[in-house]
Amino acid sequence: MIRRWWPRGLRARLIVAFALVTALGAAAAAWAGAGAASGAIVSETERYATETTAAQIEGIAPQLEYPPDQAGLDRLRAAVGADTLVTYGDLRSGDWTVADLVTDDLRTAVRVNARLATQRVEADSTPWLLVGTPVMFTSPDGTSAASGIEVYSAHDLTGVQERLDDLTRSAVGTALLALPVAVLLALAAAGGVLRPVRRLRDTARRLAAGDLDARSPTKGSDELAELTGTINEMAASVQSSMAAMRRMQADARRFAADVSHELRTPLSTLTAVAEVLGDAAERMDDEARESARMAVTETHRLVRLVEDLMEVSRFDAGTARPRFEEVDAAAAVRDCLRARGWTDRVEVDAPGLVRLRADRRRLDVMVANLVGNALRHGAPPVRVRVAESGDRVSIEVADSGPGLDEEVLPHVFDRFYKADAARSRTPGSGLGLAIALENARVHGGDITAADAPGGGARFTLLLPREAEDR
Amino acid sequence: MRRIWTAALLLLALAGCGVQPSEVADGGRAPTGVASGVTLYFVDAEGGLVPQLRETDRLGSISEALSLLFTGPGHSELSTDIPEEAPRQVVVTARPDRIELRVPLAFDELTRTGIDQIVCTALGVHVQSGGSTDTTAVLQFTQTTAESKVERSCPLTG
Repeated sequence: MIRRWWPRGLRARLIVAFALVTALGAAAAAWAGAGAASGAIVSETERYATETTAAQIEGIAPQLEYPPDQAGLDRLRAAVGADTLVTYGDLRSGDWTVADLVTDDLRTAVRVNARLATQRVEADSTPWLLVGTPVMFTSPDGTSAASGIEVYSAHDLTGVQERLDDLTRSAVGTALLALPVAVLLALAAAGGVLRPVRRLRDTARRLAAGDLDARSPTKGSDELAELTGTINEMAASVQSSMAAMRRMQADARRFAADVSHELRTPLSTLTAVAEVLGDAAERMDDEARESARMAVTETHRLVRLVEDLMEVSRFDAGTARPRFEEVDAAAAVRDCLRARGWTDRVEVDAPGLVRLRADRRRLDVMVANLVGNALRHGAPPVRVRVAESGDRVSIEVADSGPGLDEEVLPHVFDRFYKADAARSRTPGSGLGLAIALENARVHGGDITAADAPGGGARFTLLLPREAEDR
Repeated sequence: MRRIWTAALLLLALAGCGVQPSEVADGGRAPTGVASGVTLYFVDAEGGLVPQLRETDRLGSISEALSLLFTGPGHSELSTDIPEEAPRQVVVTARPDRIELRVPLAFDELTRTGIDQIVCTALGVHVQSGGSTDTTAVLQFTQTTAESKVERSCPLTG
């Protein structure tokens, strides 16, 4: 596995890309320049070498005896210069180093084409230019034929090589000089690109954090400005839909609060009438008595429902203000059960004294709602266990009923949620657990619902020992 | 990314190499000039120009050839139209496209055939030593005459 070592940041990537492009460009330019220059230098050197060799041979050839003897070949070799080999049949003049350099290809070309031929070879890392030529017979009318004399001369190209190396070195040096400039340019370009990007990021963060007024200033008319504009439009449309939603929510809450408030006056009259009706029921016949009792029960239920609704409205409006005081949680649970006549139906497991800072009325509501729910929907025995754990107090209400369904569990705290659609006419308001949860939250605590290991539902109310005013 | 680096390295490597070994390349016309003797032009019995190979073992220069020509045909059935008593010193000046020959004779002292003998011999040596076949010869005589400006070529070869 090859590690990906190249940088991931936009700035670093820009710089690397710039540097690479610059290096490539400079290298390409250096390569092209050095290539052209070296081609020119090499071909110029070759031309000079061939012309000189040909002129030297032609200068001495008319004075050469033909057929030549060893002395003649030596003269010819001396005229052409050092590193020269002259052959004629079996005769040869010259050192063996040149003879070793001369390739078969060159020899063949000289013999077959009867023209001057050149070849570059390398021997012991020294570059050589070989010039090979036959010396021609020419008749007075211009036709020529090979005389059998062949001249090979070697020219050391080390000087040329050094010049080319110098050329390359200076080209590479220039390319390296361009690198810091490229990095500076890249930094500038990266800054130009990244500043708007950073501004956009900050804006997006503020939007995500809930500040819907956050906008980025749009500058220029490039792609980034377009993106900024689009994000601003998005933020604006999110803001307006959020505002509309909040308005609608507030309207709905106010409506619920108003409705329950308006219902109170006629309900108090209705309650008084129901009291009278309840007293008179004893004197009615069976059928009328049943109806009257039902009217009384339903009126009481209606009153409780409206009270719960008003409580929920207060939570929604944020006007529910708890009054914290020192409370003994165990005693509060027992008082609650006693007040509602549930003492004989509920087992209480509590240590002597559990100190807790809470709103006494709300604590009573929470316990009553949880126990009432257990009594209504679960099966006896119902157990309440009060315990301390660190800086929290837990009040656990468990029943021995069938427990909570997988489908029901996420919705038990929803308002008016009915676990069993067929049993819609239960005595509860459908708001008990929701109100209990809101109360727990007001205290900075929470209620969790789960199935007990031995079957049955278990609601756990967790309250901080020291609730803080919020 | 890797490919870019490879390309960059390849470029640098290519730029770093100077002189590379090569195939055999053509270098132009081969030098010439060796000969077993020099060709002189004399006149036969019918008055026509005839080449005669004088075996000197080498080609030599134009002025050497002209000196030999001025010496005469020697023991053969050929004759010459150049006066025997003429001085043998000919000054040769080679220009890019023509050869100037300063002949120690007056125009009147030479026949047309004699002039051709000189021109053919000089141009022959010039061509044999690698000169162009298009080269012409200009003969400059001792006396001032318009003939000194005429560019001549050999009737046998040119």
